[in-house]
Amino acid sequence: MTGEITAELERDPVYVVRTPAFDGPIELLLTLAQRAEVDLRAISLASLTDDYLRAIEQAQPPLDRLAAFLVIGARLVQLKAAGLMPEARVGEEDDLQAWEDAIKGRLEEYKRFKELAESLMRRHASGRFTFAGLLEPDVIPQARVQVSLDALASAFRQVLDRLPPPGQVTVEMEQVSLGEKLEELRQMLARQAQLNFSAIFRHARTRLEAVVTFLALLELIRIGEARVAQVSAFAEITVHAQERKETE
Amino acid sequence: MSSMVEGATQVRDTTGLAAALEAVLFTLNRAVTILELQDILQSPLPDIEAAATSLTEALAGRGLFLQRHQDQLQLVTDPAQADVVRRVLRPEYPSRLSPAAYETLAIIAYRQPLTRARIEEIRGVNCEAVLESLEEKGLIEETGRLEAPGTPRLFGTTMRFLQILGLSSLNELPPLPQSGSTSS
Repeated sequence: MTGEITAELERDPVYVVRTPAFDGPIELLLTLAQRAEVDLRAISLASLTDDYLRAIEQAQPPLDRLAAFLVIGARLVQLKAAGLMPEARVGEEDDLQAWEDAIKGRLEEYKRFKELAESLMRRHASGRFTFAGLLEPDVIPQARVQVSLDALASAFRQVLDRLPPPGQVTVEMEQVSLGEKLEELRQMLARQAQLNFSAIFRHARTRLEAVVTFLALLELIRIGEARVAQVSAFAEITVHAQERKETE
Repeated sequence: MSSMVEGATQVRDTTGLAAALEAVLFTLNRAVTILELQDILQSPLPDIEAAATSLTEALAGRGLFLQRHQDQLQLVTDPAQADVVRRVLRPEYPSRLSPAAYETLAIIAYRQPLTRARIEEIRGVNCEAVLESLEEKGLIEETGRLEAPGTPRLFGTTMRFLQILGLSSLNELPPLPQSGSTSS
């Protein structure tokens, strides 16, 4: 029946569909959909109908054309609905009732989930999150986990605590030059562009040497040849080599 | 190893075990499986379960909250404290998902584990992109493979899913509305 109608109207299309997924006479859309050569799931029949209603408001086509659209439209809806039920083939009139029931069940199921989705959305929008103590880097981006002066100072404190306390023993004058330490750090960073904070103190034997090394690090940060970072809260602070900016 | 354990083992009542559980979850600061906890706390499964229930009760009205996702437990902040924690951390959670994402999440939350094909059957549209995005956000994950041709991936929700909704467990989800025909 529909075949005859489409054949008859092929010369003068009932309506030309313009969607991103299909562009052409609606009769062709139906033919292709029947042959499963076009995916109806990609086409919004509701907006297609809206477009059509807008179009006929202007054009006011004769009644037989309106009827033809209705027949084609109904068949498209049926095919699209059938697409929601991959396991059932449509068309046989005898199992139409079973098919209708199954479709109804499927639509009800979808409707239930749509309602649940809305309640999930409201819950999410309420912002009542729970937070883990250690947050994943994508929750607090790394860029934001910057090393505060306090964190740097307390990391240095730990380095100092590992080294022998200043005894009243040696009076021997120790010579540690800031310039030498600066050079040493530069070389370390040239060999390895990323170092753990503790690693730069590995060779420090005395507190004075550690203090000078720390001053050298601060100097490198100040002149822009190094920066410190921390991948997440409480993680080890790392020292990174950096291109010196030629500004200022 | 076992001698050390014997030395440390004492008869712990549920309250004591709940306190131990709290201490372990606090220090590990991540989701811990019940199996791991049996080993750490040297206690059988029913005792761990009882301790978890006891800890949940003990934490009622406090700033911390016990979250349970499948076989994992995690100590997190209470959803009622979300505002103050947010003020401190200024986290950058996506505040909104698309309607398609909520629909897909709802289907997975109630029907897990399930395949993409099953989700698409319910939604009637291709769900590849939305599943990919949810997986990327850590809200769903592959929980296994279906023993069927092509061994399709099975999807389930994650701990992060509970976190963005402030749920103590999946049991706290609103009940699935019943219809005339019961679901399979």
